[in-house]
Amino acid sequence: MASSVPVKEKKLMEVKLGELPGWIQMRDFTPKGIAGTSQRVYYRYYNKYINVKKGGVVGISMVQAANVLFNYCRPYKELKHERLRKYH
Amino acid sequence: MGLPIAVLIVMFPSILFPSPNRLINNRLISIQQWLIQLTSKQMLMIHNQKGRTWALMLMSLIMFIGSTNLLGLLPHSFTPTTQLSMNLGMAIPLWAGTVITGFRHKTKASLAHFLPQGTPLPLIPMLVIIETISLFIQPMALAVRLTANITAGHLLIHLIGGATLALINISATTALITFTILVLLTILEFAVALIQAYVFTLLVSLYLHDNT
Repeated sequence: MASSVPVKEKKLMEVKLGELPGWIQMRDFTPKGIAGTSQRVYYRYYNKYINVKKGGVVGISMVQAANVLFNYCRPYKELKHERLRKYH
Repeated sequence: MGLPIAVLIVMFPSILFPSPNRLINNRLISIQQWLIQLTSKQMLMIHNQKGRTWALMLMSLIMFIGSTNLLGLLPHSFTPTTQLSMNLGMAIPLWAGTVITGFRHKTKASLAHFLPQGTPLPLIPMLVIIETISLFIQPMALAVRLTANITAGHLLIHLIGGATLALINISATTALITFTILVLLTILEFAVALIQAYVFTLLVSLYLHDNT
């Protein structure tokens, strides 16, 4: 399952799942790199869903859904015990 | 582990307010622009030239508190305005700013606020003390009002939601009644979120009006 192109130069959608940890380690974690990545991610999403002529409620709904999911994963260890299960 | 994520969560609402680039923007920015113009006209009507320099501060205050409170109504989210520390951090500098502005520019008038007109002579010392106390309570009241309202609302939602879930197995009718109460409460909470933001900002602007 060796890849023909070196892992570092691939974009995220083209990296196979097994190579993901290696790909993440090779990213640029300097402040400048993180700033660049966040800007790219933000503007890609913004220009695709919000900055369009007839944007709808979908643009912000996806952000809110991700927000809820993130805030659910935060205290997961405590929330696990409050599920409606017979055996915890 | 909690601390860096709290910073991210406090900064999150700012992502939802993009800055306008063009003459005619996308729908999100247009809606926000319209709302901000509506609110700022309403809020800055009562101020004179000097008070209107605070326009940016008051507008960003109401946007921040309003958006943070509304985001706190999503399930499982963390609301920074439930923490007294943050509300004190917002209330005390703003109130101190208005008081110091008043002292600097209209010293005699701001000191005169301590004594209402037409008080009988024997009552004067007591009244000055009472007015001083009420002045110093203003930032505390601002902060505690916001904290208590938002926290109480969240608490009620948690408790009544838990009660509805627990009642489903016992008696469906009672669960239905409790669910109706929950729906009404959620509507109230949406209103409270916005109203609290408005009240905070209105009071700050009122203190400003007294002192400019």
